[in-house]
Amino acid sequence: MNLERLPNEEKLILCRKYYLGGFAFLPFLWLVNVVWFFREAFVKPAYTEQLQIKAYVKWSAVGLLFWVAVLTTWITIFQHFRAQWGEVGDSLSFTIPLGTP
Amino acid sequence: MTVDGPVRVLSPFLFLGAKSVRPQPEQPTAHVGVAGSVMDLSDSEDDLYNERTALVAAEKPAVPSYKPGSDCSPPDGSPTKPTRASGRAREGASDQEAEAEEEELTLKYGAKHVIMLFIPVTLCMLVVVATIKSVSFYTEKTNQQLIYTPFTEDTPSVGRRLLNSVLNTIIMISVIVVMTIFLVVLYKYRCYKFIHGWLILSSLMLLFWFSVMYLGEVFKTYNLAVDYLTVAMVIWNFGAVGMVCIHWKGPLQLQQAYLILISALMALVFIKYLPEWSAWVILAAISVYDLVAVLSPKGPLRMLVETAQERNEPIFPALIYSSAMMWGVAMASPVDAHSSETDEEADQMVEGAEPQGGRQGAEEEQEEDRGVKLGLGDFIFYSVLVGKAAATGGDWNTTIACFIAILIGLCLTLLLLAIFKKALPALPISITFGLIFYFSTGFVVQPFMDRLAAHQFYI
Repeated sequence: MNLERLPNEEKLILCRKYYLGGFAFLPFLWLVNVVWFFREAFVKPAYTEQLQIKAYVKWSAVGLLFWVAVLTTWITIFQHFRAQWGEVGDSLSFTIPLGTP
Repeated sequence: MTVDGPVRVLSPFLFLGAKSVRPQPEQPTAHVGVAGSVMDLSDSEDDLYNERTALVAAEKPAVPSYKPGSDCSPPDGSPTKPTRASGRAREGASDQEAEAEEEELTLKYGAKHVIMLFIPVTLCMLVVVATIKSVSFYTEKTNQQLIYTPFTEDTPSVGRRLLNSVLNTIIMISVIVVMTIFLVVLYKYRCYKFIHGWLILSSLMLLFWFSVMYLGEVFKTYNLAVDYLTVAMVIWNFGAVGMVCIHWKGPLQLQQAYLILISALMALVFIKYLPEWSAWVILAAISVYDLVAVLSPKGPLRMLVETAQERNEPIFPALIYSSAMMWGVAMASPVDAHSSETDEEADQMVEGAEPQGGRQGAEEEQEEDRGVKLGLGDFIFYSVLVGKAAATGGDWNTTIACFIAILIGLCLTLLLLAIFKKALPALPISITFGLIFYFSTGFVVQPFMDRLAAHQFYI
């Protein structure tokens, strides 16, 4: 789907839907929102809906950064302490590597 | 816990695909191609396997083709004959010019489309080959088979094995035929809800279940520890955004990427669960079926395509890969039109042709997607061929030979598409070449090269 062809109101609606959808634990959706609408929000010459689109893109970026931080922290903690946690670590693991830690 | 069991049980996947290469009709949602592979989670273990590959050519530019002299009225009398003749000659010449121009345009479209399809097909095959070569899961011998290939190939005698593979093929193909006909019937009687539900279930299964399996195997191969939370987040995001992109609206490149990925996943499942000889016979049989189903007048796929074109609607959502090209967006934004006019001559001619096409009835928004469409079933079977070659064919020579063969076949198919401008099956030529190259490389070229290398004889 090409954003060029959409009228501005529909762009806004799409951007908003992507933004709201990201709240369902979907930072990837926020990432898509940011990348896809970046040109629309910041590079294109101004039009009426652009202000709102800018806001959505900005807040999507904020949410994305939040999730990246959370996930990175969790993954680091898990990888570091998994062996020490013993049984709890194993029950949390999807795949358990072979060999000695 | 092995995930093989559930996969085997659930592998009645519904595969819907129509193989056809067809000119892209003018439709408002043209780029959201239709037809591809559908997977079904039906509990009755009803395997639905229809595949469809629709290769859709670019829209023909609205330049009427004249046969020189065909529209000239017969001369009235001899005195006027010379002038009339010269006038006719001039007209004939300009008609020939128009026709030549149109041919050139068509071929230039064709050339770009070939490139545009090479890339996704190559990517899909790359993903499959990379996985096959690195993740051993997909090449492990497994005694489980799909229920559509019930005859085992573990028999001592060659004849028995051959017989079993042929029987497997017959069962598989008949399942496919039944499912295709079922699909066409559903479509004719406008049971859209059923079809959409079917498609959504299938893509759900592909995007979530198979990708979990895949991810698990990749992690095991690289000996990584990953926790459930991370995996859940990753799969949830991957799957949900995939559903949004494929079935609703999303950026085109992301949609294309997802389609490539699910084709690759599907191909990997096939490679794993189809027994050796059956796989090759099935590939051959399915190309024949493709040919018949698309080209023969009563073929189900042809009827499907024609019905869709009659009703002027896209065939099925999200099951055709569409490489939509934006030909100078003449009406949407004047800036774009201008910049594309400074491009090469072909684009200029496109610019000229496009407004004509536009005036002829299509609305403005529909002019954009003059791309080519290839159904996902094609991607899947190409990748199955190359993947099998990589898994069992010895070494890289065979794999690369098959890869080249498929690309050559694709080129030829697109050339035919440019000439005939109607739906064409994309499988037969490529698969034929692929099979020829596989067997000849595996059995003739490879030993030859080994012998040469062993004797240090360079040619």
